[in-house]
Order: sequence, then C-alpha cells, then structure tokens
Amino acid sequence: MPDKTLPRTDVVIIGGGWTGLTAAYELAHEGQKCVVLERGDHRHDATSFGAPEEHDELKYALHHTHMMDVKTSTLTFRNNRSQRALPMRRLGSFLPGEGLGGAGIHWNGQIWRPLPSDLEMRSHYESRYGAQFIPENLNVQDWGVTYEELEPHLDFFEKICGAAGYAGNLNGETREGGNVFEGPRSDEYPNPPMKQPIRSTLFGEAAADMGLHPFPLPSANVTQKYENPYGAQLHPCTYCGFCERFGCGYFAKADPIICVYDRIKEHENFEIRFRSTVMRVEKSEDGQTATGVTYIDSDGLEVFQPADVVCMNAYALWNVHLMLVSGLGRPYDPQTGTGTVGRNYAYQTLAGVDVFFDEEIITNPFMGAGALGTVIDDYNGDNFDHSELGFVGGGYVACNQYHGRPISYQPTPEGTPPWGAEWKRAVRENYLHHAGIGVHGSSMATPDNFLDLDPTWTDSFGRPLLRMTFDFPDNDRRMSNYVMERAVEIARNMEHVRSYSSSNRAAEGSGYSIEPYQTTHNTGGAVIGTDPSTSVVNRYGQMWDHHNVFVFGACLFPQNLGYNPTGPLMGLAYWTLDHLKSDYLANPRPLMDA
Amino acid sequence: MKPGIRKTFARLAMLAALAPIPVMVGAQDTETPAISELEARLDDERSLFNATVSDTAPDDDLLELGPLVAMGGAENGGSGMACITCHGGQGAGDGSGAFPRLTGLSGWYTYKQLNDYASGARPNEVMTGIAQRLTEREREAVAVYYSVVEAPIEKPLGEIDLGLLQWGGQLAAVGSAEKGIPACVNCHCAEGTGNPPSVPYLAGQYANYMSYQLQLWKEGVRDNDAMGVMSAIAEKMSEEDMRAVSEYYMRVHNPETTGE
Repeated sequence: MPDKTLPRTDVVIIGGGWTGLTAAYELAHEGQKCVVLERGDHRHDATSFGAPEEHDELKYALHHTHMMDVKTSTLTFRNNRSQRALPMRRLGSFLPGEGLGGAGIHWNGQIWRPLPSDLEMRSHYESRYGAQFIPENLNVQDWGVTYEELEPHLDFFEKICGAAGYAGNLNGETREGGNVFEGPRSDEYPNPPMKQPIRSTLFGEAAADMGLHPFPLPSANVTQKYENPYGAQLHPCTYCGFCERFGCGYFAKADPIICVYDRIKEHENFEIRFRSTVMRVEKSEDGQTATGVTYIDSDGLEVFQPADVVCMNAYALWNVHLMLVSGLGRPYDPQTGTGTVGRNYAYQTLAGVDVFFDEEIITNPFMGAGALGTVIDDYNGDNFDHSELGFVGGGYVACNQYHGRPISYQPTPEGTPPWGAEWKRAVRENYLHHAGIGVHGSSMATPDNFLDLDPTWTDSFGRPLLRMTFDFPDNDRRMSNYVMERAVEIARNMEHVRSYSSSNRAAEGSGYSIEPYQTTHNTGGAVIGTDPSTSVVNRYGQMWDHHNVFVFGACLFPQNLGYNPTGPLMGLAYWTLDHLKSDYLANPRPLMDA
Repeated sequence: MKPGIRKTFARLAMLAALAPIPVMVGAQDTETPAISELEARLDDERSLFNATVSDTAPDDDLLELGPLVAMGGAENGGSGMACITCHGGQGAGDGSGAFPRLTGLSGWYTYKQLNDYASGARPNEVMTGIAQRLTEREREAVAVYYSVVEAPIEKPLGEIDLGLLQWGGQLAAVGSAEKGIPACVNCHCAEGTGNPPSVPYLAGQYANYMSYQLQLWKEGVRDNDAMGVMSAIAEKMSEEDMRAVSEYYMRVHNPETTGE
C-alpha cells in the first residue's frame, strides 16, 4: 500500500526531458491536467549552466555532473548469454541524463531526420535486393510509420530548436550544398548553417572532389537570434567549445528547458514534481489499462498518482526497465524468441580517422560547437548499393570541430608513446593541426541482443536492475569497417595532410566494451510497429496491451539509424501526440486492432 | 602567441626606451605614462592578444604613431579632434556616458570599433567622422597605444540603491531564468575582465556609457559585436536591468582591468 494516494490527474508523464516536457506542453494546451514526475532536480540554463563555472572540463565532462547517478540506479551488462552480468558502476559508453531537461541538456545538438527508406527498412531492402537479402539472424523491421507521415512533425521539432542547416531536398527538388539523399522537406531550415572551420572545409573539398556530397551538419546550435513556435527566444552560438556533456548558458543550444519548459511552466494545467522517482506503472485488475503510477517523492514517501493516461518519457533504457518491473507488455524471451519488451535493443558503431595537418593549417580547436562540421551521407542507410557488400545499413562520415579541451583533446599521431617527453612534444606539435573524421554507423537488432531483468542485482529501491546483453553484430562490424575505409579515402585525398590513422570501436574480433565513451544512442527494447508479436507499441506509440499507456523516445526504434536519434524520436513524439490529441482523448481505445 | 606580435612589443619597449613618448596633456589626466609602466604591461595577455591585425610585424613608425594619433596628429590633417580631448591621454574617459574608458581594451577590439564607426556598422555622430579620417594604419596604431596605457579608475559619484546593485550583480552572475537573460560572466568572464580580443572588459567601465550602449543594442542602432549576441540579450532587458548591471560593473574593481 502506498503512503498516500493523490487526486486523479488526466495525464501523468514519467520524465522531464525533451519528450516529457513536450508531451506536457501539447496536452496541457489541449485541456489535459498534466503531472510530470522527474527523478532529478530543477535546473535552468541561466542559473545552472553559465560560464565560466560551467566550463569545468573535469567536473562536467569527466565527472559527469549533469548525468544520472549510478549509485542510485544503474544496469548490469554482459556481452552474451553465457556470461554473468555485472553492474555498471561508472558511466562510460553512454551517458543518460538526470534532472530537468534530461539528456537533452548535454546533447551536442546534431539534429537529423531518418531517410524514408530507413523507416521501411525491411520492405525497402527486400524490394531492392530480393526477399532473401536480409540475413535471418537480423530482426530488421519496418517502423510502421512512413517518412511522409512523420515529415510535418520532424519539421516542427526543427522549428522548436531553431535548427541551422541547408535543405538538400526542398519539396522534392534536390539542391547541391545540402544533403541530396534526404527525404523531401516541406520547408527550409529555420536558420542558416553554422560557419565552417578550416578542417571541415578541407574535408568537404576533398569529398566533393571525389564526387561525394558534403553539406553542413544540421545543428541545434542556433546561428542567429530566433523565436521558436512556443515563443522561446534563442541566441546565436558563440562556438565556445563546451557543448556535449555541458549545459548551454548562452541560450544557444536548443534544449528542453528554454525551448519548452519555460513556455509551459506557468500553465494552469501543468505541474512538475522533482526528486520523484517512479517505481512502477500500476495496472487495472483486468490488466487492460494502467491506473496511474507509484513513485517515491522528495520526502521518501511512496505515492500513488492515479491518471487516465500514462506517458512513458524516461530515457530509452529506463522506459524498458519500468515496463519490465511493472509487468507491462510481454517480456522478451531469447530462448523461444517470443515476447517483445526488451527485444531489439540496439546501439551504434563508432569508427574514425585521425588526420594530422602540416604547419600551414591551424585549426584552433578550442573554437567549436556540438554540431559544427561538414558531413557526407553517401554511405548512410541504403544511399549506396549494398548488393555485393555483405551487410545492411550504413553511417554518415563527418569532420566536426566540437572542442579542444585540455584534458580530453590531446591528438597525437600513431606511434607516439602514451606518456613522457615524446608524448608531450607530440601534443604540442599537433594540438593546432589535427582533425577527427567520425563514422557514425547504424546498428541492427539481433535475437541475441536484448534487455531483461537481472536475476541477482537490485537498485537502491530493491527492484531488479535492468540487464543489458549486447555485442556488435557481425553485420555492423562489416558495415563499420567498410564506411571507415571510405573515410580513409577522403582523408588521403585531403590537402595539407601529413599523416592519418584509423580506428574502429566495432572492429572484428573485439567485444563491445561498456567503458570507453561511444555514444548515448541506446535504442529499442519497446519498439514501434504494426505487428504485436514483434513490437511493444502500435504505430501511434500506444502499447498494444494497455491502450492508455503511450511510449516515447528511442526505445521505439526497431533498429538503430546511422543518425543521432533526437530528431527522429521527437518526430515520433509529435506524431504520437497528434494522434493522442486528435483521436484518442475524445474516444480512449486501442487505435489499432491487434 | 604569434612570434610577430611578441616581436612588435619587444620593439615597442626598445623604442620607448630610446625615444620617450611626448608629453601629453589630456582633459582628465595630465600624467605622462612612464616607460616602465608601459613595459610592465607588455607581457599582459590582454595587450598581446591580436593587438595587430596581420602576421607582419608593424614597423617602428607605427609604434611612434599611436601616441601621435591620440594627440590629434594624423595624415589627413588630423582627425579633427584629438582622442585625448575626450578619452584622455591614458584612455580614462569620463562618466558622462559618451566617453568610455579605453585603457587596456584589447588592441583588436578598439581597432574593430574604429573600423565599425568608419563603415557605419556602429553609427555615432562624433566617432564616425573621426574614424573615417583616420587611415587604416592610424587606427591600428592608436588602438595598440590605448591597449598598453594605464589609468586609475574614477570613483563612482553619488548614492546608489543597494537593491539595484544587488540585482545588477545577480544579472551579471547568473542572468535571469525568468526573462531568459544569460549571465554576463558567460562571455565577459568572472569579475568582468572580458575575454580578449573580441569581448571587452566591463569592470570599471562607466555605468552611463554601458547602459546607453545596452539601450542602443536593444533599439538595434548598435549591432556590431563579434559574436552577434548582444542585441538578443539587450532586447530582453528592461531599463532598470541595464542600469543595474551597469552600475554593478562600474563598481567591480579587478586588477586585470583597473591596475589597482
């Protein structure tokens, strides 16, 4: 029994990040009383993220002060089912957020759209390459929602962020200088692209010379003063070099606090409760619907908040955890391949090329921004012919400049000793003459990569920890290596290059490690689709098994894209909210027949 | 630091030792900057950051030219008005609101302002004409000169409402979450030292001048800051906010900018 039961609310929203605050904004304006439960604290760009204090690399980039506290809750990890999973006691490979704004505070602002073919991946590959093309051990699925359907919502989110870029496909017309592979945009980017630094310019010139299609990385680092559709006023980016892992005190990196929270916090239908950790979603006696959520409030009391609608807006991994500890949906069983909750967990592959320039090129790496760079999309998705390659998927290749911070940015050429006088000399000589080219690749779901509850370890509330079982699928290793080789070709073609070296986190023969940072793009586990046997939610983001539970975030991705997930997952969020507002609220029921 | 710049200042020191800078009589300050004082400032990063606009070291003539331009001696029959008439020989300016303190502003910053006055990017009835009559070289020379002189800080006159001062300090330190105003320290750094070369110091700058500039940014008359952020910030500020933050920064004394 809970310590107290509160009065009923229309909607309870679990998590105060991008999707949660956006759900609250949209539903509060629809007349719904919304209660947001955020496990962390209040914070604000003006008062919490101002330089010079914020520009503390040790505190924020290395000690992860803005991120989740693994002492309270974490997950356990293993590479495969034969191993015993152990708790992740430090953040490493990925960095989920905590507190107002969630991970949307310390993102880099790289704002992408999925390719039209990404959203219909199985149908697309089968129609282009034949029904047998996709290997049997890959759970490649269609999303059940098309690019055309998502486009208005992707567009709207870009306007919320004041996205900066150049459209490569405007209403079906392809334009050089933008991403010529992208799906048709209904409108221009709201702001012009970032100013490109010398390293990205050299990369772009080399790529164009090879017949590839470079364009400025789409950015939620705003490039001029801008007012978003909610009335939030954003300022131009100062290229300060403290973006990812940091909050932005300049009001220049779009985040959920300034873009959404500030515009809804005074609304009569909006309430947010901080230091409120949801323990479980409660189900009705017949199990068909949710009745509300039970959470631990800031005084440590267990509180039941009844609600007509439950929105799950926690980070991808914790949404899945909450479903498993609440008994929502059917847990995935890797033995039998049945069940869906925890199925199709995917990650991303990261590879790269370090390029060292001659003395003539001075990069000034301390000037940077999270989404500053030049990128090619020629090897992403199915933008290139896969018929002879032996893998599906792809990734973008980008030459970015996001920081030159003293602890983490010490580029040295291959063969330099890792310490001592030689190393110091190499850092001095190369600090101003280096570029990193990143390969950011997709990740396919397999039957062996999944999330479930750990049989041994519990969190500080006594709940079983989430257990992650993951290693890079061979498909992704081959893909990552192939695209990295293309990046090497570009490096070789760049002017002023003295030397280069490449590396691949998903190289063949090495297991995925949860320790070195790779990317905070954990996806799947509660995927979207049109078939209840392979998806947790229907194409509207509504749970098949509990029609008043709506699910948001990257946990919906059936397999991971070769893109950063925030743009796509916010497109899905607005799509779900659109159907909630225009259809479900007036007539609550399953929006699709199972 | 680029070798060229270092060399420039080494030369300036040498030159100063050989040929003393002519005595200058300013409106507000009458002391001649001593050579030793100038020398002491040569290693100050603020003076060194991009004090020149090109990689080529300016010749000795340029270094002599700075103080001469400040005194009104310039190629096109002078600027019409000597800098020292209003800003003083040591750049102390005055509290009227029209004449900012120039002492120790980075050379690049002052040079850019002169260019912007001349081009109309920073319209000003007095300064536009003056800057237009200075040659490129003279702008550079006088900017370098004011970057290395020293002048004491004027004490603020009159009483100030402590509540206003407190609000100014708060805006400076943490901005306003309610109004969406980012903190000044984001760019102008702790204690208002500025971030050379593009971001000027605020500590010790005259309150009347600062609040007037904020007003100009808000009205869109002035829109020439290197990062293009000031108009968006000023638009969110009320007159009281501007007055508060300006009065606050005038009272911030930091040895980096005030020499005290």
